[in-house]
Amino acid sequence: MAFPSHKPTGRSFDAGDYSYKTFKSQSGKEVRILYGDKRTGMKLQLQYQNIGDNQADDFIGHYDQVKGGFETFTLPDEFRAGFEGVAERIDVATGNKWRYESAPQLTQVRPGVSTVTVNLIGVL
Amino acid sequence: MAKVYTGRDGVMQLAGATLAKVVSFSLQASLETLETTTLGDNLRSYSPGVTGYSGSATLLYYKDDSNNINTTDLLNKLYKTGTDGVGSSDTVELTFRWIDGADNNDIKLTAYITSASIGAATGDIVRAEISFQGTGALSTVTIS
Repeated sequence: MAFPSHKPTGRSFDAGDYSYKTFKSQSGKEVRILYGDKRTGMKLQLQYQNIGDNQADDFIGHYDQVKGGFETFTLPDEFRAGFEGVAERIDVATGNKWRYESAPQLTQVRPGVSTVTVNLIGVL
Repeated sequence: MAKVYTGRDGVMQLAGATLAKVVSFSLQASLETLETTTLGDNLRSYSPGVTGYSGSATLLYYKDDSNNINTTDLLNKLYKTGTDGVGSSDTVELTFRWIDGADNNDIKLTAYITSASIGAATGDIVRAEISFQGTGALSTVTIS
């Protein structure tokens, strides 16, 4: 079971960073050592407001399939719906995949209708 | 026959009994809408949510020949002694009717009285103003 291909109603993306360490001398001089050439730690929050319960439970099913935050996966193109820039720039960078940062949050809005929020993090 | 309804055709009932000296009433129905617009859409779309009913009425404070006051069973839902406040049984059965000869156009609902005000002013008739919030389904709808 792949990640559900529903179009989100809201999306926020944090681009993450490269892995490096900063050393600061007493004089204030700063030295940074780069430990990797791939950006990682991207964070992505997807919101699916007022969707049918039979769509909402797809996210719980997928969460089970990848054993919560344990396994990594890729996302379908639909998660970028409405974004007109370079598509890859709001996806995980090369070498990364997504995993769940926290469990999907499902809020029942009315009978048969729910809102789901998914928080993902990009990892190497 | 063509007919324009006026205030003379309006009747408000409480538990099936017509209330005397009703000056005005109004009833509103509302539908909550749930937005289903997704990223990339250019037009908003909605799904129907919860429907509700509310309204208000104004009555002259009136005592009939039997010493019954027309607003008693409305005002007593909020103006009450004791510390229990309003309970789930403190509902009223309200019927709003527009009469057309022998035909009645009715809307009947169960409601809580959510506000009730009454006062007195020099040179003016005492009026009671109430607001109500419907609960559950309408039990009768024969307007068309």
